Amino acid sequence: MTYLTRRSVLRGSLALAAARPFAAPHVAKAAATTASAWFAQGFVQDEDVALRKAVADYEKASGNKIELSIIPFAPHRQKVISAITSGVVPDLTQSNPNEILQLYAWQDKWVDVSDVVETQKAQFSETALQAAQAYNSVTKTRGVYGVPLRAAVVPCHIWRPLVEKAGFKIEDIPKTWDAYFDFFKKVQDNLRKQGERKVYGLGFQVTANGVDPYNLFMAFLLAYGGQNIVTKDGKLHLDDPKVKEAAIKATAYLGGAYRDGYVPPSAINWNDADDNNAFHAKLMVMDVDGTLSTEVAVKEKHPDWYFKEMVTHGIGYPTDNAGKPVPAIVGVTQMMIPKGAKNVAVAKEFLKYFVQPKVVGEFIELGLGRWLPVMPSLAKSPFWQDPKDPHLRGYVQMGLLGPTVPDYYVFNLAMAEVRNQHVFSMAMIDVAKEGVKPEAAVDKAFKRIEEIFSKYKKA
Amino acid sequence: MNGASVLDIDRPAIRRRTLARSLRGTLKGGEYTWAVAFVVPYIAVFLAFVVYPVVYGLWMGSEASLYRELFADPIYQSTVVNTVLYLALGVNVKMFLALLLSGFFMRPGRWMKALLLIFVLPWAVPQISTFISIHWMLNGEWGFLNNVLYGLFHIEGPYWLNDRWSALGAVIVAHIWKWTPFWTLILLAGRMAIPLEIRDTAKVDGATGLSGFVHITFPLLANLYLICTLLSTIFLLGDFNAVTFVSGGGPANQGHVLATIGIRNAFDLAQPRLGVAAVMSALPMVIPLVIVLMRKLRTAEVQL
Repeated sequence: MTYLTRRSVLRGSLALAAARPFAAPHVAKAAATTASAWFAQGFVQDEDVALRKAVADYEKASGNKIELSIIPFAPHRQKVISAITSGVVPDLTQSNPNEILQLYAWQDKWVDVSDVVETQKAQFSETALQAAQAYNSVTKTRGVYGVPLRAAVVPCHIWRPLVEKAGFKIEDIPKTWDAYFDFFKKVQDNLRKQGERKVYGLGFQVTANGVDPYNLFMAFLLAYGGQNIVTKDGKLHLDDPKVKEAAIKATAYLGGAYRDGYVPPSAINWNDADDNNAFHAKLMVMDVDGTLSTEVAVKEKHPDWYFKEMVTHGIGYPTDNAGKPVPAIVGVTQMMIPKGAKNVAVAKEFLKYFVQPKVVGEFIELGLGRWLPVMPSLAKSPFWQDPKDPHLRGYVQMGLLGPTVPDYYVFNLAMAEVRNQHVFSMAMIDVAKEGVKPEAAVDKAFKRIEEIFSKYKKA
Repeated sequence: MNGASVLDIDRPAIRRRTLARSLRGTLKGGEYTWAVAFVVPYIAVFLAFVVYPVVYGLWMGSEASLYRELFADPIYQSTVVNTVLYLALGVNVKMFLALLLSGFFMRPGRWMKALLLIFVLPWAVPQISTFISIHWMLNGEWGFLNNVLYGLFHIEGPYWLNDRWSALGAVIVAHIWKWTPFWTLILLAGRMAIPLEIRDTAKVDGATGLSGFVHITFPLLANLYLICTLLSTIFLLGDFNAVTFVSGGGPANQGHVLATIGIRNAFDLAQPRLGVAAVMSALPMVIPLVIVLMRKLRTAEVQL
């Protein structure tokens, strides 16, 4: 028979204490208050600083921990795709590019976040709410899989000194679409006469890299009346004569400008950052490029450029050739929770905190306004309405307060593949470089688009 | 009638004992346990880092529909042509130059050692930054090359990266520039391993210069040259950096090779399986190369 002694009690207690980490849910408890979040690195450092501040504020307020990973843009996308393919996922990720929401919703890879969106539903713009939805081909329903965070549209960026050197004023720029862009051809012609050997009028991304060429083409397609290429029900309308005519005009104008020497020849190889760099190097008078990254990137180093020399046409964005406003296509950055995430509750709680107007508004403003808010009420803030800032009011008017539509992959995922396969780019390049007629280039593009859409037939 | 003899009854047990004996070899008792303990980690690493990735890759690229989709991609055919040209020119020009240069660097003298040091620099410096430099150098508007042409001769240089063939040519030249020093060093080591007696005897017999190279040096180096060529081909087939950073697979996606189209499909199109299928489509080329390489490595034991 054995007896309890002081030593045996102590021994037993020590053994129990040593075994506790293996038996008790210590790790689980820690995990329950921690969520991992993957964000893409900002174009300017202020964006990352703003994000870290928002996360730190949340951690302080909640006592929870967010394991934040800020990853460069391209590797972030690769990491998200690899994670979802392998099943080892973070608790939260940003859409990058945005269509990844629709892409993996199709495969039933995201957690429904309608309860998070519901908390601010009255605040979000209609376009942002549409962009948060996607079709799930497994459940055969449309659901809310994204929490809208911020947005971007594609403004025009112009060098005032180059326009003035050519003998014009910014006020001389016409307001209707074709005349607006033709104006910069005249600017180039005048600059060439003055001996400027390497200045081009138009910074069109006639390339098959990145997302810029698709955004450019779509802006022209809408301006020429091709809004119904895909309708809200997800149906493709390539047989609509208006859509075809708009596509031919867009291809002809963009490819023709390159062919006629008004676009830097290297544009055919540009990636998404190259046009920004070329614009900063004053290789072209104007650039059509998404977000205000072109301006905010130089705000600190070259305040003269930002405040005096660079002009962004937001309010002055051209109308269509008949004088009607052209809706801006809005790309909405979303936050998603992958299925298989370990800490969905914390991730949702963080999102509910993050999308409060005050928090998300401050996050966007601290990022210098490269991105737009997705809540119209935020556009009224002194930051966005600052009369001293030459860019922000126009930008927020164009992308939030004016007429907008979500990008077309929101209505049908196939448009994301059309974008990523650069189908419209190939049409532009065929005209620009190969001498193909716009009609033939569009026929070829439409054939490819039909092939792609056939893969995404809804049940 | 049961045809089994009495000897067959215990045959499985005999087989097991024979297998165990052959595995044990001459090891006895605790030695065998220790041997197993030492081998198990290697097997585990081999399974985790060799077998698993290969099998996972094969599984990812196993659906026939992926290949139908791949072949329907308008840029796949040009990608295959580019890959073949990249391999044929990139490997053979580089190896031939390396063979010639290894002979040059056999010359005696201190200055030759200094020159060799400078010569290996392209190989020694990080490849991504050098390829990006080449990309910028070839920029049509403000690149170094066209600025020099204009500055010296008032010639507007071509847009090197705007044409499929000149862009591919730029990639091939960049690859050759980058990797020729490495293979030159390998072949130089091979040349230095040729015994002096053989060379001296050949000289006595009048085999000097080209004659010495054709009749003495090259036959002795031939096996090494072939192995290097095969290895280089396998390395180049998976090369992603030169194409991505020099031409970006352009213009208009006409300059891709299989390695870069695989990455494009996997991450730009967000279709990892299609990306794996693109790379897998090179297997009919890779497997024969590996088989020939293995055979040559076996014969290389007794040859230089």
